[in-house]
Amino acid sequence: MFGRKSHSHNAVRPYAEGLCSLLEVPEGQIFKIAEIRGGQGLHRRLLALGFHPGDLITLDNEAIMNGPVLVRNLTTGTRIALGRGIAQKIMVEAAGSDEQ
Amino acid sequence: MNNKSPVIVFIGQPNCGKSTLFNSIAGYKAQTSNFPGTTVTHVHSEVLWKGKVYSIVDLPGTYSLAPHEPQEKVVLTHIFKEKPDLIVNVIDASLLSRSLELTLELLELEYPMVVVLNMMDLARKKGITINVEELEKKLGVPVVKTVASRGLGTDVLMETIENALRCQTRSIAPCYSREVEKRIKELMDILPEDFPIVANKRFTAIKAIEGETLAADKFISEHDLAFKQELDRLRQEISALRDAPAYEVISAERHHLALKIFEDCCRVARPKVSAIDKLDNLIMDPVLGYFFLLVIFAGMFYLIFKVGSPLETWLLKPWESIRLSIESHFGRSLLAELLVGLVQGIGGGIAIVFPYFIPLLFLMGFLEDVGYLARASFLLDAFMHRLGLHGKSVPMFILGFGCNVPAIMATRILESRRDRIVTALLIPFIPCAARTTIILALVAFLLGPWWALGFYFFNIFLIAILALILKRWFKYDSPGLILEIPSLKVPSLKSIWQKIYFNLKEFVRFAWPILIAGSVLLSFLSYLQFDRLINTILSPLVSGLLGLPQSLGVTLIFGFLRKELSLLMMFQALGVGYGQLMTVITKTQLLTFVAFVSFFIPCLSTLSIIWKELGKKVTMMSVALNLSVAVIVSWLIRLVSSLF
Repeated sequence: MFGRKSHSHNAVRPYAEGLCSLLEVPEGQIFKIAEIRGGQGLHRRLLALGFHPGDLITLDNEAIMNGPVLVRNLTTGTRIALGRGIAQKIMVEAAGSDEQ
Repeated sequence: MNNKSPVIVFIGQPNCGKSTLFNSIAGYKAQTSNFPGTTVTHVHSEVLWKGKVYSIVDLPGTYSLAPHEPQEKVVLTHIFKEKPDLIVNVIDASLLSRSLELTLELLELEYPMVVVLNMMDLARKKGITINVEELEKKLGVPVVKTVASRGLGTDVLMETIENALRCQTRSIAPCYSREVEKRIKELMDILPEDFPIVANKRFTAIKAIEGETLAADKFISEHDLAFKQELDRLRQEISALRDAPAYEVISAERHHLALKIFEDCCRVARPKVSAIDKLDNLIMDPVLGYFFLLVIFAGMFYLIFKVGSPLETWLLKPWESIRLSIESHFGRSLLAELLVGLVQGIGGGIAIVFPYFIPLLFLMGFLEDVGYLARASFLLDAFMHRLGLHGKSVPMFILGFGCNVPAIMATRILESRRDRIVTALLIPFIPCAARTTIILALVAFLLGPWWALGFYFFNIFLIAILALILKRWFKYDSPGLILEIPSLKVPSLKSIWQKIYFNLKEFVRFAWPILIAGSVLLSFLSYLQFDRLINTILSPLVSGLLGLPQSLGVTLIFGFLRKELSLLMMFQALGVGYGQLMTVITKTQLLTFVAFVSFFIPCLSTLSIIWKELGKKVTMMSVALNLSVAVIVSWLIRLVSSLF
């Protein structure tokens, strides 16, 4: 639906330089939310669920067949499943070394 | 306090255990599960504690006071219209920092408030230690620890509630950073005289700032343009502070305040990877997860059959012999007919329904409480999208296996009406506990378990096809899944037992009497030979189209009341006992009948809930859809079997 994502994670661009979407990062590494794009409705919903810019998150899991991704918010300790279209709108950057 | 009983509302984020806490105080009244959004409407109960009556309201979960989903709006209506005497803010202690964001928002209301740290056991398992005294100091309201699933801490909670009501101390709104506070004050001062104040001026001002693009904003700009311009200016200033929309700045303020309180009051030990976490990774695995999904549901089906079928045989025997002895004693008199009807009604309930009903309820309750439903939604979301549905509707379908009625009610958590209608049209095709009972008791018991399993899979396949057809009808645009995945929990037997008891009580109070009365009525009708009239009217359908014995016509009438009635009445109508059924009808006829009854029309309670939730038009659509599917499917079964 939102285009096929190549599953080879080594194709990831050097993310330290700038932003990339949650769909482009490898599983299990820690990133920082830089920006939430997309409409207001989505924006407010994610804020309410405790996903704010600046929070540390990690991609836990991806369902097959372009299914949703599982994101863990390390700052607040929550876990949510996000459809790909939504995950694409969450921009992340490399986390600084101050992460625990 | 005056004689009017004080109103206490339970508010909290989804899945924090409000309903479980409510139940452990008020007795089992609200449905619970480990899935966010189980409570879709408020549940109310009067509770007597130490000689005083309290009126307690359990509200649907909400992540914030700026509601996005329909069931969250119920919360706002309650807070503002009903004006509760006390707010009990229930928090999942294992998700403290996130949950505090709502708490801070509630504090802004400046109502008397008590904070409940629920699921303390889970927090401890996650390595979180909470300093309650410190938290009380920071929040300025009493904090109580509970483990609602085990009923721990509820007495202390009630005492605290009583105390808080007596003192009437109002909560104090949290303080944000200076720059933001400055703008809030400014707005408070210029609020027009006639501006509708909600709770207090400060709360109203904050909500006005946050209300960008919401309906209220349009109202303000139409009413008072000068004020609107000021409001926009303040918003821009706030927005400039963090280079983000004003509502995000305010939300971020709460977020950081919550994190700060969390850091000050809690110690988090480095979490160990527990066995439960490992299990969680396994059942959510992109490959193995589907294997487990299949194993879990096939295993469930198998287990219910394995438990139910010997029990059924054993339980049927005495009723069968009673029936035979009545017939040999009284012959074919009116009394004998009525007695046989009575015996079959009672026996049908005990011997056919219970052996399957209870194990099914137990396993469903187990899956719900463990937290598997949200995981199944995650795994199945991609499939559901292909069918034009939403991953969020997976739990409703799974719930539908228990009973269609709560499943249709649960569709309220879907954001779009389109999704609600499609889901509600499909749910009646899911074999609920009553139909599963029938499928197991008749098809599995008489034709063998493989036939029943085949019928089950056919049923699910049929739902998928229908979904695809409906997708052509209703345009589909995907809003995308956002679903919180709750922690896996070891379910408490008490809570599962309460659920079984709740459902069983419904069965014994409503369905069973209908079953018995229906059975007796049918005997009476057949004694008067009145059933022949109904049978003759329905004959073109029953024997013409479906090729069934004409005498089964009358059972369809009962099937409309409850599905299992049709099939139990079948024996009565054909005038045979359970054991001899296969001597009067063929395999094909049995399958045709089961298929037709399963699909022909949603039962009365399902229809009325569809009507209530979605209106007459959707109800009519549902009836038409079910009827046509039933006719086509049973006719196909007849056709296919005639080829062999």
